[in-house]
Amino acid sequence: MSDPLDSMLDLMRRLPPTQIEENVSALVDICPDYADDLLGSVDQPLKVKTDSATGKEYLACDYNRDGDSYRSPWSNEYNPPLDDGTVPSVKLRKLEIAANEAFDTYREMYYEGGISSVYLWDLDDGGFAGVVLFKKVLTPSSQTESTGSWDSIHVFEASERGRQAHYKLTSTIMLKMINSSEKQANEDGKKTSGEIGLSGSMTRQSEHDFSVQDSTSHITNTGRIIEDMEIKMRGLLQEVYFGKTKDIVYDLRSVEDLEQTRRQRDLQKELVGFIKR
Amino acid sequence: MEVSERIQAVSKFLLESPPGEINDVLNDVRNIIADDESLQQGIAPALREYNLVQFITVDIPGSNHQSIISKIALVNKSSDREDASERFLDPRSNTTFKFDHLSLEASDPQPYEPDAASEPFRTALEASTHAYLSSHFPDGTASVFSSPDNPTVFIIQIIANKYNPSNFWSGRWRSEYKVNLELRLVQGKIGVNVHYYEQGNVQLATNHEVSLSLPPTIFQSSPTQSAAKVLALIESEEGEYQTSLTETYQDMSEKTYKTLRRALPMTRSKMDWDKVMGYKLGAELSAGKGGFS
Repeated sequence: MSDPLDSMLDLMRRLPPTQIEENVSALVDICPDYADDLLGSVDQPLKVKTDSATGKEYLACDYNRDGDSYRSPWSNEYNPPLDDGTVPSVKLRKLEIAANEAFDTYREMYYEGGISSVYLWDLDDGGFAGVVLFKKVLTPSSQTESTGSWDSIHVFEASERGRQAHYKLTSTIMLKMINSSEKQANEDGKKTSGEIGLSGSMTRQSEHDFSVQDSTSHITNTGRIIEDMEIKMRGLLQEVYFGKTKDIVYDLRSVEDLEQTRRQRDLQKELVGFIKR
Repeated sequence: MEVSERIQAVSKFLLESPPGEINDVLNDVRNIIADDESLQQGIAPALREYNLVQFITVDIPGSNHQSIISKIALVNKSSDREDASERFLDPRSNTTFKFDHLSLEASDPQPYEPDAASEPFRTALEASTHAYLSSHFPDGTASVFSSPDNPTVFIIQIIANKYNPSNFWSGRWRSEYKVNLELRLVQGKIGVNVHYYEQGNVQLATNHEVSLSLPPTIFQSSPTQSAAKVLALIESEEGEYQTSLTETYQDMSEKTYKTLRRALPMTRSKMDWDKVMGYKLGAELSAGKGGFS
């Protein structure tokens, strides 16, 4: 028998993405011993919290969690407050503040709204790691418009070797779009109602080496890596969501009449045979 | 957590299995619960419910076609739970059979005497349904049932599956139509599920309900022509639905997706990180030269 954690992760890859929070919490109830491993390996939709010190919104995930409290990147305070909550070293916190400002600019340029948060933490080997988060939710202005949400989770590790730095990036994007429609009876007495939902997540990894002049280089370096990754993944998501899944629907059912196509093919074969003779 | 609560929790996972992946989900659940004996008994109701709801198909012994397992196919609907005497009907061959919800195999086929009043129209609907099926579904199965308590009501069920685990995708199209000749009404449901899971987990889930009036030219007394007309109505509705699905795809891709995140900033070029860092940062950080660690 394989590791139960592998089975839990396989389940998460199969069960409906819309149910991910309920299903992770059910698995935690079933196997409390694996709670930390599971919560650390399964990306869940980011929660929005409000920093009580600054009134600004920030994103909560497993990386800024201590117990039941979440640290804000704006004030560095935990909410609900914690006296002994883990915080980055003074030097890393300075970098974290600058990173939050830079990625907030990036967020405005690409998302034109939404929320961003960056969290950094020290690693035992002297390097550091971080997570860059973006979330945008669309609230439709009319009933016919689709709702949607985008969650980006970019986790990276940075290690310095002299004037070079090595970066390892794991990026997950969660994307959900739902369209509901309802049509009242027309003159033929036909009425319809329904919902179309596309939801899920994709994960990609990459590694890079860059030169480092000073600590701010880490921000420009991770900034470029994450920007390239998001551009690549946006294209990939577009292809899978609107291309692949649609092709599969057309594999299931053909809009064209297959019998007619078959007849035409037979007729063509017959004609070809006839002309050869 | 009690064993019974654990079984209940994993039963929900089984019911949520994507098309063609219930055995993979069951395999995961087996490893997580690590108690085969309790699991085997405990999940039986969930497996049965999954098969009934998902229109699982079964090879009919002594015939070369498949039939649909569903609630309407149950012959003796005495209770909601499975019992040893539970049997399903294949209306096409007028055979009833026992069904194993784990191995998905039929056994003990027995002849079935159909209702004489409704059978001619049911057979006509069945023929038209299979003609429709071969026109639009490369790999579909359909069953047409008459209603046990109303000879003017018929149920058409259609299922098409494509499982492609080596390319990490699967799909299912399910539709059901209740044709009521007395009320001149067709009530239909279409549901499509697609799972794409190469380095990710992306799912399409749709449901569509439709209510159609039957034109006055449909009579139970002229089964062949009337059945063809009913199926022409269904064909047009399913075609329209598929087209509207394509339109929604386009709308989501062109509006929703673009509004969520731009492909490039308004400037049409990538962000200038040096510039941003230049004016975002005061002297404080730049002064601390010499790398982070």
